[in-house]
Order: sequence, then structure tokens, then C-alpha cells
Amino acid sequence: MKRRITLNVNNELWEVEVEPHRTLLEVLREDLGLTGTKEGCGLGACGACTVLIDGAPILSCLTLAVDVQNKSITTIEGLAKDGQPHPIQLAFVNYGAIQCGFCTPGAIISAKALLDRNPKPSCEEIKEAMSGNLCRCTGYIKIIKAVDEAAESLTKG
Amino acid sequence: MRNEKYSVIGSRQPMIDSLPKATGHAQYTADLALPGMLIGKLLGSPYPHAKVLNVDTKRALSLLGVKAVVTGADILGKKYGFFKSRRDETGLARKARYIGDPVVAVAAVDEETALEALHLISVDYEELPAVFDPEEAMKQGAPLIHDEYERNIVASREFNFGDVNRGFRESDYVREDRFSSQAISHGVLEPRAALAQYDVSGKLTLWTSTQSPYFVRRDLSLVLNIPESKIRVIKPHVGGGFGGKVELGPHEVAACLLAIKTGRPVKICLTREEEISTTRLRVPMIVHAKTGVKKDGTLIAQHIKCIADGGAYASSSVLLMYNSGLTCMIPYRIPNFRYEGHMVYTNKAVSGAMRGHGANQPRFAIESQLDMIAEDLSIDPADLRLRNATQAGDTSISGLVFNSCELSKAIKESIKQTDWRKKRIQQKPYRGIGLACGGFVCGARLGGHAASGSFIQVNEDGGVTLMTGSSDIGQGSRTILAHIVAEELGLIPSDITVLSGDTETTPIDAGTFSSRVTFYAGNATLIAAQDVKTQLSEIAAYLMETNPNDIVFKDRKVFVESNPESCLSFEELAKKAESLGPGRLIIGKGYWAPTNTQFPDRKTQYGNVSGAYSFAAQVAEVEVDPETGQVNVFKLTIGDDCGQVINLLGAEGQAEGSAAMGIGHALMENIIFGDNGQIMNPSFLEYKIPTAQDVGDVCVLEVGSPDPVGPYGAKEIGEGLLISTVPAIVNAIYDAIGVRITELPVTPEKILEALEKQKRREYHASTS
Repeated sequence: MKRRITLNVNNELWEVEVEPHRTLLEVLREDLGLTGTKEGCGLGACGACTVLIDGAPILSCLTLAVDVQNKSITTIEGLAKDGQPHPIQLAFVNYGAIQCGFCTPGAIISAKALLDRNPKPSCEEIKEAMSGNLCRCTGYIKIIKAVDEAAESLTKG
Repeated sequence: MRNEKYSVIGSRQPMIDSLPKATGHAQYTADLALPGMLIGKLLGSPYPHAKVLNVDTKRALSLLGVKAVVTGADILGKKYGFFKSRRDETGLARKARYIGDPVVAVAAVDEETALEALHLISVDYEELPAVFDPEEAMKQGAPLIHDEYERNIVASREFNFGDVNRGFRESDYVREDRFSSQAISHGVLEPRAALAQYDVSGKLTLWTSTQSPYFVRRDLSLVLNIPESKIRVIKPHVGGGFGGKVELGPHEVAACLLAIKTGRPVKICLTREEEISTTRLRVPMIVHAKTGVKKDGTLIAQHIKCIADGGAYASSSVLLMYNSGLTCMIPYRIPNFRYEGHMVYTNKAVSGAMRGHGANQPRFAIESQLDMIAEDLSIDPADLRLRNATQAGDTSISGLVFNSCELSKAIKESIKQTDWRKKRIQQKPYRGIGLACGGFVCGARLGGHAASGSFIQVNEDGGVTLMTGSSDIGQGSRTILAHIVAEELGLIPSDITVLSGDTETTPIDAGTFSSRVTFYAGNATLIAAQDVKTQLSEIAAYLMETNPNDIVFKDRKVFVESNPESCLSFEELAKKAESLGPGRLIIGKGYWAPTNTQFPDRKTQYGNVSGAYSFAAQVAEVEVDPETGQVNVFKLTIGDDCGQVINLLGAEGQAEGSAAMGIGHALMENIIFGDNGQIMNPSFLEYKIPTAQDVGDVCVLEVGSPDPVGPYGAKEIGEGLLISTVPAIVNAIYDAIGVRITELPVTPEKILEALEKQKRREYHASTS
């Protein structure tokens, strides 16, 4: 039986009818057309589907859409402000942290969650925070560098 | 490496398509949707070897929302496969050859209905005897997986240069060792996906996650019995390939069949489980290495024997088994060399191309064995390699021509950078340092279509559009090609729009494999850009009343060399050019294939199969925890000769990504097969690839010099580096703990077991 729910995604309210077993990832991609969030494994092992729920990084492939009503959901599409990419997005671009780009949205969301709670993370803290986001292309070094540079530019304001 | 004469080449630039990827706007195949689209799902065989007798689809078709079911009986065309001589696949099998081999596909209004339909399909099978071990499969009397291949041997390559037996006789020291390496999943983050659409005019369009729209179209034409000109293959953004996505897959065949049958668009997205267990794997290989040297370490003779576990279908077998032998002769001068390589069918998932394509397994064996020889003869492993390293100007005994080679420099720089000589003798306990070398082709010579092509159009506002058949699968070839156009026309890379990988609108290109894209598509693009430059120079010269050869393109401006102040902007020139006289278009074109290569001689296999060769030396530094057996690769130093770097950021990215993959291959990644050949760990929970916490420092030393054939002197960097990472790590582990592991991966269990044995040996030695 479908249920009518309201989701707050990227500060917009969306009313959707969903079956209770559908994941947030499916609803974001198929019902809301927000395909920036990727499915890499469907089992919570790769991090490509990471979104923010009330600021915390959550795997949307393991989250039911009906469970996140009345919560603030942020996807990769919600990071840019006034058409300007977020400093973390720019750092990923400028420091070469992106190759195929499939893991990128999830990785950037994890980085945002980290920097929101810890604006000046150490290298080890960055590695730990990013260790749930698998990347097969970059070898992580430029991802770590990008997060570090983004932290710098965000704290400078 | 910056060269002062270039503005863009060698500089450090972000990829031109990375912003859409960072914002989530870049579209991959799974992100696409069309009106009326159905979702397809595949049903695989539960048996490793079985004939499909009957498929009952009635119950499935009566389920509301199910629109079509297709089986092997719907395949009207011929078998397909990477090589003409080894075409053995139909997409949907009538005889299943491994657990998971797709036999039926269904299309329904949504994924849930499609999955439910799979449960309602009943397939009658006749089970056949199966075989899982390649050495067993080669024995007389083993079950035949493909009837026409005796003893299941799908590909055998042999060559014999010089006189190996005499070489061994003349050697002061000869060693023989056996090595083995494991099956590996490409582990790309984007699982394969395909979206097919068939229209009333008979045109089939397929959007698919592929490295080669060209091969996909060619093989679809064969298997569907539709002319190539009626098939359009479009490659959206691709989330990594590493060789795995170079061939047509069953899901692509099934999506097309279902779209034709229903008249509606059909999308099939593989799950991670399907991606790991039903696509392609790195080929597991047993390598016997016999090497003879003089007392001073000079290589005299080498005999390499490889037995490769091909799995259920041929895939790239013939080339793979050739590569395994050919690449043995790249890094070192070997006067007598013999190679035998056999790939054997087994009832397991299919082995195919993966980064390094057949070079990795024998190189792991050889580089391990060279260290063993160096120790036996009390020679520093770096000196042993320096003594034998290939030099620019050499021709190998097999006919490989090395116009450029900086391997000696790569070794010297990487050992200097790491303080090698000191660390070899003064190390903290359980710390080790290891070295290995490698080399690779820049696009091996293939039979059939090999050239790359480019079109360039200059737009009225000075924007430039490049159309290339080459496939960017995340490695950054769009950016590399944009660098080349920008360099020639005095622009910046982001001024260039690159359209790539669409069989209808971009030139025919064999695709992304064999580390050929920068080399081939780069040269084709350079020719096309020079064509545009010539046309624009003539117009600028006419406007400036000077000689076209004196026109300079720089900083988005066009001027006469002696008078840079009096200039036109590139935009002004583009606009003037188009309205000059009766009007014109500025369109450049170019195609390229190397003229210095040959298809290897059919009998002897002699020939220069690549226009250039990359080289690398790597030093790995590790720390082993004797309590847990865990290895920490805390530093990799890579001396890399990829010729002239085109984009430094991209080159570093390739090197660092390869380093991480090498750590995974050396230490953790291993596809585990069950008793019936089924894959026991088809998820990222059980099949572990490195995370951000598994990677240490990577230091890339640019040691290359420009190659005379590559564009601006560039050579490959995508594949070759991985080859030497694994043996460098394994050699460093030996240096750290004094035990030699010859079977990959080097897991903590193997280390602990080896340390235990070593302890017992020491104990017995002290008590006897």
C-alpha cells in the first residue's frame, strides 16, 4: 500500500506516494529525479549514495523513505548556493579529486558532514571520515587533499 | 614536466568535465529515463554447466506489468566476441557455462515486477559435468566447455627467440620458481547499465556504460543480425572501466532484444552482485619462471610458462595470452627468451582484460624472482635491474623498438629519493623496502580497425568543438584531447567542448583499452587541430597582410610573431573567417594510427607491436605487524616514464589511483570461488578494495623524455604503472620479514603462517 509522505529535500518540500519498503535512494532518483545520488552497491558498502539527514551522513540505500519525513535531507544537488558551487565541490574539481565521478557526490556529502562538525580535521580524521566512500580511480590522495583545502577555504570564510 | 615552449601541455589543470560530476549533474546510464521505459532483469543459471532444455514463461507473462520475456531462442544472429577467431557468446546462453550465466531476461513496468517475474519463470536444465581448475580442465577426458576446443584450451601462444637452452647452459646461475595470482574484480564504482530504444524505422539506439561503443555496435550487429548502420551506441558518462567494460555484455544484448520485442525503451542496471559475478574478472594465472644469469647479474635466458584460468568464455584470450609473453621483453634486455602461454576454459565467471592486460601476472613472477636471484648472488636488486635495463634505441630480441626509454633514470631517481641503499641495510625491525620495474604498450597493434579520428569545428564565438570517437571513462581523455586542441590554437582547455563516444556523430574509434587513447586519439586530434590552425593562419595572414607561417596563436589571441601588440582575438578571427568572401566553415579533421608498428609475424611472433612503450620503476616501503600479519604500505615512490606529460594533475591521478589498486591487488583483493565455481564474495562487504585508510604516501617522479611518435612526445600512463606496484610491495614485504610469498594476495593469514614456519625453522636450526 502506498503512503503519501512529505519529504524535505534541499529545502524544498516534496509530496510523494511511496510504498513503505522503498528506499530513500530509489525515491530520490526515480520519483524526485535527483539522480546525483548514485547507487554503487545497494548494500551500504560503498558510500556512493550518501546524503545528509539533519546534517549527518546517511546511506540512502539503507534508509526507508517513509522513515525520514520531517527531517532535513540534503543531496549533492542541494550544495550549490545561488548557482555557485560549494567550496568543497570546487576543491574536488581544482585538486583533481574527481576522475570517473561516480563516487564523487557521496564523497562530497561525507566531506560536508565532516567539515560541518569538525572544521579543522587532521589528515587522519579526514581519512577516517572518508573511509566509507569507496573510490577506484583516484587512490584517495587527491580526495584527502581536496577536503583539507576545502576546510582551509571554509574556515577562512 | 613543463616544457617552456608549451602553454598548456604539461600544466596542471582540472578535468574539463569535473564540475558537472561534482554537482551531481553528470549523467551516467542508470540516470537516464525515457517515456514509457521498462525495466529489465536477467536470470542466471543455477548450474555451472547445463543445457537449457525448456523455458516456461507463461506464469511470468501473466503477471500484471510484465511485458516480455526473452531467451537464447530469441537470438537470431551469430555468436560474438572480442576476436573473430574466438566468438563464443550469444548473451543469453542455450548452454550455461557458469553459475550466473544469463539465460533469460524479462522486461516489466518496474524493477519489483521484473524481479517477481524472474521467480515465475521455470527453466528445465540438463546438468553436464563441470570443471573448475585450469590444470584439470587441460587434461584429456575433462568435460568440454566449448566442443570445438580440445582440452579446453582456448588460446595458446608460444614464441622462442634466441636459444634458451644454450642460454641456460651459458648462465652461471639458474633459478626456477612457481608463482600464482588471483582473480580480481575491476571494482568500478558504477555497475554496468544499458538503455535500449528501438524505433519504427528500425533504428536501435543503446546508451550504455562502455569503454568501446565501437565494439558494442559491432557485436550487437552480429548477435542481433541488424546492420551496424542501423545501430547507434552512445556512451554517457562512465563510472570507471579498467578493461572490464570493453566488450559487449549479456545485459546489453538483453536490453536490445526486449526493446525490439516490446517497442518500448528498456533499461537494465546490474546489481553489484551481478557486476562482480557475471561480467569480467582479472585472469588468475599460474606462472613458471626460469631465469639464467651471469655472476654479475646479466640476464642470459628466460623461460616463462603461463597457465591462465579463462573462465567460461574466450573474451580477450588471444591478445591477453600474447601480452603475457610480449610484455616480459619490455623492461630488460634478454638475449634468449621463450614463452608458452595457455588460456583454459573453466566453468567459472569469465576472465578478461584488466589494467595491464596479461602483463601483471608474469611481471609479478619475474620481479619477485629477480629479487631472489639478487639475494642468491649478493647483488643489490637495484643494481641487478640497472645492469639489464632497456635503453632508448634498443630493439628487443622479439622486435620491439624502444625509441624512448628512461627506465635507468626511473630506477636511479626512485632509489635516490627513497634513500634505498641506506634503508636496505639499516631498517627498523619489520620495515622493508622493495623495488620493481615494468613497461607497457601504448596501444598494441590489432587486426581490424585500429585508427582513431577527430573532427574539430570552430564556432562563431571562438568556441571550439572537438568530436572524438575515443571514450572517456573517467581517466580524463576529454581533458587530454582538449589540452592538445588548446595548445595548438592558443586557447585554454575549458574553451574546448569535447563530444565523445557516439557511433553516429563522432568518428569511428576502437575505444579505450590497451592504453591507446592519448597516443592514438591524441595524435589524431593534434592533426585535426593543426588542420584548423592552417586554415585560420591563412585567413589571419590575409587580414594582417603577412605570411601564414608567421602567425602565432597564444592566450586566445592571434598575432604576427614580430608584432604581438597588433593582434586579433581568437573570437574575432573566428567570426571574420566565417564571413570572409562567400562564407566558409572552419572544420578540421584528422585520423591516425602508428606507421612504425607491425602485426607480429604469424610464425615467429616477431614484430614491433606498439608505437612506443612506457617504463616505470617503483619503490615500496612497508611495515608489517608481526602480531596481526597486517601490512602497511606507507610509501610508494614511482619513477614514471610516460614521455611528455600532457596534464600533470591527470598523470598524478593515474599514478595515485594505480598505486591504490596495486595495494588492493597485492594485499587484500581476492575473488573466492566455491565448489561449483560460484563466486562466494560478490559484494563490497566481502570483496574488499582499498579505502582512504589503506593508502599511504605516493610520490610520483617524472623521469620521462619526449617520445618521437607520441603526441608532443606523450606515452601511456593508465595501465603500465600497476604492473610493477604489486611486485614492489611483495619484495618490500620480503625485505621486512624475510619470507617470500609467491601466491597473491599476500593476506595476513599467509604472513602469519610464513612467520610461524620461519620461527620453527630457526628453532630447529638452533636445537640441532
